Amino acid sequence: MRDKSIIKQVSEPYKRFGYTFDSTTIRLILLRSLDKGVELDYHWVEFDDVRYHIQVSMKNPQHLLVSVSLPTPPPETVFMGGLPFGAIEAIKSAYGVLVQILDPPRDGFNLTLKLNLSKLPPDEEYKQALLVKVASVREVVLGAPLRVILKHLASRTVSSNIDQLVALVHRPKESFFLVPQVDKVTVVFPMRFNDSIDIVLATSFLQEFVEARRTAGLHNAPSCLWSSTPPLELEGAPAEALSANAGFVTFVIFPRHVEGKKLDRTVSSLSTFHAYVSYHVKCSEGFMHTRMRRRVESLIQALGRAKPDMENGKKGVQSRSFKRLSLKDGRTNSN
Amino acid sequence: MDPAASRPAVVIDNGSGYTKMGFAGNVEPCFIVPTVVAVNESFLNQSRSSSKANWLSQYNAGVMADLDFFIGEEALARSRSSSTYNLSYPIRHGQVDNWDAMERFWQHCIFNYLRCDPEDHYFLLTESPLTAPESREYTGEIMFETFNVPGLYIAVNSVLALAAGYTTSKCEMTGVVVDVGDGATHVVPVADGYVIGSSIKSIPIAGKDITLFIQRLMRERGENIPPEDSFDVARKVKETYCYTCSDIVKEFNKHDKEPSKYIKHWRGIKPKTGAPYSCDVGYERFLGPEVFFNPEIYSTEFTTPLPAVIDKCIQSAPIDTRRALYKNIVLSGGSTMFKDFHRRLQRDIKKIVDARVLASEARLGGEIKSQPVEVNVVSHPIQRFAVWFGGSVLASTPEFFAACHTKAEYEEYGASICRTNPVFKGMY
Repeated sequence: MRDKSIIKQVSEPYKRFGYTFDSTTIRLILLRSLDKGVELDYHWVEFDDVRYHIQVSMKNPQHLLVSVSLPTPPPETVFMGGLPFGAIEAIKSAYGVLVQILDPPRDGFNLTLKLNLSKLPPDEEYKQALLVKVASVREVVLGAPLRVILKHLASRTVSSNIDQLVALVHRPKESFFLVPQVDKVTVVFPMRFNDSIDIVLATSFLQEFVEARRTAGLHNAPSCLWSSTPPLELEGAPAEALSANAGFVTFVIFPRHVEGKKLDRTVSSLSTFHAYVSYHVKCSEGFMHTRMRRRVESLIQALGRAKPDMENGKKGVQSRSFKRLSLKDGRTNSN
Repeated sequence: MDPAASRPAVVIDNGSGYTKMGFAGNVEPCFIVPTVVAVNESFLNQSRSSSKANWLSQYNAGVMADLDFFIGEEALARSRSSSTYNLSYPIRHGQVDNWDAMERFWQHCIFNYLRCDPEDHYFLLTESPLTAPESREYTGEIMFETFNVPGLYIAVNSVLALAAGYTTSKCEMTGVVVDVGDGATHVVPVADGYVIGSSIKSIPIAGKDITLFIQRLMRERGENIPPEDSFDVARKVKETYCYTCSDIVKEFNKHDKEPSKYIKHWRGIKPKTGAPYSCDVGYERFLGPEVFFNPEIYSTEFTTPLPAVIDKCIQSAPIDTRRALYKNIVLSGGSTMFKDFHRRLQRDIKKIVDARVLASEARLGGEIKSQPVEVNVVSHPIQRFAVWFGGSVLASTPEFFAACHTKAEYEEYGASICRTNPVFKGMY
């Protein structure tokens, strides 16, 4: 049961650690390319298989090409022209004249944006805010449908697809589900992990996570449920979406959670939920290793003290914590 | 096909001073951050009380503190602004010293800086040629157990530094790598990509010693620097103003004749009071790097200059490789970035070699003329992260994925697979 209390504690600093959506890498690269006209050609991949490519050529140092590739959508999600619904409008409203959408996008990517750096506002603070916005291109695109639904909730306007299950992609071939209603939106995450240890840790983490929601300070947080079987809301979802080895997490979002500035936070917390859980699972594993390592060291210390010949004066810590392989052992092992 | 193999591998080069990390296939690492972890240890130091409830709360608080840590620049800033954080440097002299800190460091590298899912990527890590197999096992354990990486390759950093030159000219995998990092200096001869282990020389002078030397010089001259900041100032002075001179006496004269041209000023703000201060940067500009060429000015224990060490290293290598080794002396590591460092090194090694050739010719009575030995010190603009770049080049080749230790192998055989290079499979 001790492990359980560890996990409970791990789940507490939820407010402290949250994934933000703006990619540190993009922000750095943008700043670098603003400083000096350098040729750039940079590829990288973020969690949930979102791939980026940034290119600046010497000929045209004012123009920056940002390409984004999104995780492969499962069949139940709605994708139009390789983008989730509402993405194009979201990009236009977020960046205005700064950005131009190239059609067709770069080979192998879902979206290519052309940034005109000369159109950046002169005001330093505003410029920084805009650059952060560019760095969060992932949120703007992937979070667009979520944002639309939550906005409808905030303004209490009945959306067209009421009481209907909406699937949104968040990981390669995986989606989470929304049930929009007039007074609330129910969000269901099927949680899947690859490693057997991860599954166990994530399951107990999520149970404690639900538990932690009940503590005094978190009255206003969205209510949160965990179940090992698909909740009733998921009726009618395709069968493969209903198999989740670490259970299902349900959040109920009320209009008060998406008022005004809270909308951005809610969108970003919801869409990084899986990465958040995965981070904490890895952290708990790391923590257990630390404790195991300490235990090994103390046992070795005890063994060292128990040695009969102490003449050579070497007392205490001798970190011989490994099996010393001799050549002979090596050979027998290989068979 | 393994889906992870379609994504670029993550390349992390952990040095004693700075860690370089990024994705394979790129020219530059995404991040270069100081290898330092700030841990909140305030809970551990509290006195133990006997009551059980109190123990439990302390225990829980300790668990909380476990997530409360920072790395890199952020760690330095935190430790400066509050006293609850203790700095710990996980790597000392090129070897991992504190595995707990190292694991946390990797955690933040992967999740907060690169923001990738470790299960999605193959990993390439680096180690010094003198790393013990045990520590390689530890690395493997952490990578496979904590992070569930699909595959891992642990490369020797000097080989990667050679591979960094791979694209710039021709494919030359024979050479001497002079790797001067922050915590360790190694001279490693490599022939056809294989490290000649018996000839590796290391010297106890590295970037950190230069910083300490500059700090000492500035303190002795009585510069007005707050003591808690002086190491940091010395490091920045080293990084911005130091250069290598060709002749130390001439350089002293130059400085004395035209102080206005050579003496630089450093401006800073006192961390405690916030008052600005300034100090002069004088002779230490060239005396710092001079430590490599005349170590006696820094310490009395070690007095062999770097060029002599390199020469000795090549002379101890197999005879048929020596000419090739002299021809390709490659610099790597942040502390070789001083201006004209490679020129000075080349000149000094050439001097030693020429003297030896002359002596042997004199011994033979001038009858046989030997072919002149070509000495070449190669320097390139990416020296600071040459190791990382080499790793990036290596990990972007399709053969890389086949040469990795895979998770399946780890589960089958255990951490001992990391003892050997996976290129020689079947050894374990």
